[in-house]
Amino acid sequence: MADSSSNFQARDRLTFLISLVPFLIERGRVSVAETARHFEVTEDQVRQSVSLLTVSGIPGVTATYQPDDLFDIAWDDFEQNDEIVLTNLIAINDSPRFSSREAAALIAGLQYLSSLPERSDQDLISALLVKLGKATFGTPSQLAVAEAPTNRAISLFREAVSNGYQVEFDYLNAKGEKERRRVDPLRVESLENDWYLRAWCHLREALRTFRMDRISNVTITDSPLEHHSSEVTMPESLFEGSADDIEIKIELPISATGLIAEYLTSDVVPVGDTGLGQVGLRVSHLHGLKRLVCSRPGLIKVLSPQEAVEMVHEWASEAIGQYSQS
Amino acid sequence: MSDRKANSRVPVEERLFSLILALLATRNGLTKSEILSTVHGYSQKYSPSGDNSALERQFQRDKDDIRELGVPLETFEPLGEEGNNQSTRYRILPAEYELPRDIRFSRQEASLLNLAALVWREGALSGESRRALLKFKSLGVEIADPVLDYIPRSIVREPSFEPLREALEKNLVTEFDYFKPGETESTHRQVLPLALIQFQGRWHLYAMDANSQERKTFLLRRIVSEIATGSKVIAPPREDSADVGLKELQAVWDRNLAQIRVQPGTDAEVRLLQQQGAKRLDNGLIELHFVDLHILADELAAYGPEVLVESPSELREQVKARLAEVLKLHPVSTGQANGR
Repeated sequence: MADSSSNFQARDRLTFLISLVPFLIERGRVSVAETARHFEVTEDQVRQSVSLLTVSGIPGVTATYQPDDLFDIAWDDFEQNDEIVLTNLIAINDSPRFSSREAAALIAGLQYLSSLPERSDQDLISALLVKLGKATFGTPSQLAVAEAPTNRAISLFREAVSNGYQVEFDYLNAKGEKERRRVDPLRVESLENDWYLRAWCHLREALRTFRMDRISNVTITDSPLEHHSSEVTMPESLFEGSADDIEIKIELPISATGLIAEYLTSDVVPVGDTGLGQVGLRVSHLHGLKRLVCSRPGLIKVLSPQEAVEMVHEWASEAIGQYSQS
Repeated sequence: MSDRKANSRVPVEERLFSLILALLATRNGLTKSEILSTVHGYSQKYSPSGDNSALERQFQRDKDDIRELGVPLETFEPLGEEGNNQSTRYRILPAEYELPRDIRFSRQEASLLNLAALVWREGALSGESRRALLKFKSLGVEIADPVLDYIPRSIVREPSFEPLREALEKNLVTEFDYFKPGETESTHRQVLPLALIQFQGRWHLYAMDANSQERKTFLLRRIVSEIATGSKVIAPPREDSADVGLKELQAVWDRNLAQIRVQPGTDAEVRLLQQQGAKRLDNGLIELHFVDLHILADELAAYGPEVLVESPSELREQVKARLAEVLKLHPVSTGQANGR
């Protein structure tokens, strides 16, 4: 949200205004910078909203918006020190309730987080759900996310980091090679149903992303951590490209490109009016590609390189061959 | 204020903010004509003698908009004046607008809510999450620094999600074409949406057939048409539909079992065994639960020769058919021109 000011629509700006006022009341005196940091908006957005506040209010007895009917601030503090102090309050005294949609999104989010160790304190969660119900105008809409069992490995990573030790685990990569890895866990990240660990890998001496479901036999070591998430700049994307990546060209129905959006590296070029499109894709090795292609059977057709086409062919052919033998 | 009058182009949020302030500040409510003639954003366009119908329509939309944002805008008719449209009054009761005083969040709760809002930061639900976060930050609670960084993320990609949720909120009868695997054509459905449920990572619609009243579950991914909603409203059954729908999906999942032979030491073995409910049988096979046979078939096809489906036979056939399709698109030796 911090950077996407274009994404910040009128309803967001309105919500920000009605949220900013109670925050300013609560703080009494607060800097523009601190306010921006707290709400994860830009300082300009804060200044604009404060300026808007000072011309906002109620029609008042004269129905003409007299100065007493408007919000006011300590102007010297604002203009000289970039600090906000409200000196005249209008109508709003406290934080607004959540809408039924907002509450539903939060509840569904909490349900999604069920595999985190933080989530395992059931009393905390039940209390939070009751509070959200009371904090909402109307009834949260019927939205539910099935809970997943708490991920044991994440608990161990968390424990290791809070005690300051490295962890070790067996990791099976997509090529089918199993290795014992020793890492400094930095971040747990998820995308839909898949969970990943981003960590400093002492074997590779580099940042690595591990799929949780390929990790087994986790143990906490007695070697102290060498890297902390606060000191390491992590690339935004989970699947960071490297120089060894292989460029693949594929063809697929244009309507299906959303299914694999995170892998695509170029714009889709339509093939006449067939509804098909050609697009580039980057993979770290062909073992991952053949799995991807087979998970969307009939959709993805690999065009090049020829080596990739052959590998996909072999993978499917070997698989189907088993059925004629058994 | 004359300088206000001069500028008749007031941004939406400024008009809505002024409306909220005016309605919060009034104890006895304001009539529509009082609002249109005095509240900033409307008064600039108000004509005391002329036609204000465009402005009235705008006020209608604005009312809906701020209600959707969780502002309890209330309409009432003063005693003795019932039935007179002109006397309808509008107000926002502070006690219903404000978060109750006893609802405050601890640092620990705040951290969890913050994460919960981050889950949906892309795709559908992102707007709601963003606004929920702003409101909740208005309380000024600082978030506890996590021991381990978490970046949870789930993206609702199905285009039918938004219109279905809208219909769900308004109890609107909804129509769409649904493609059931194994059938050659999609069929037209007319249902009352009851809940949207994510189960095993996929969004489902739990709904009631508008004619037979029968409950049905649809996978959003298989809705192949636009969602059409009319104005027909049906009162939903009085039950926790999300919970009932979830239990039905769970029952299907409990019932559906597949037995898979996996090559030891492979990706398939490691990952399939980590699936919820997966079990290694005495004969070495892995037993899996599933909701949708066709989706499991997609997933198993990806493992190629690492897996061999033993049962059910329908799953076996579906995996074979998928592999055959991949082969058809990837012929070797004949080059790239063939296949599709």
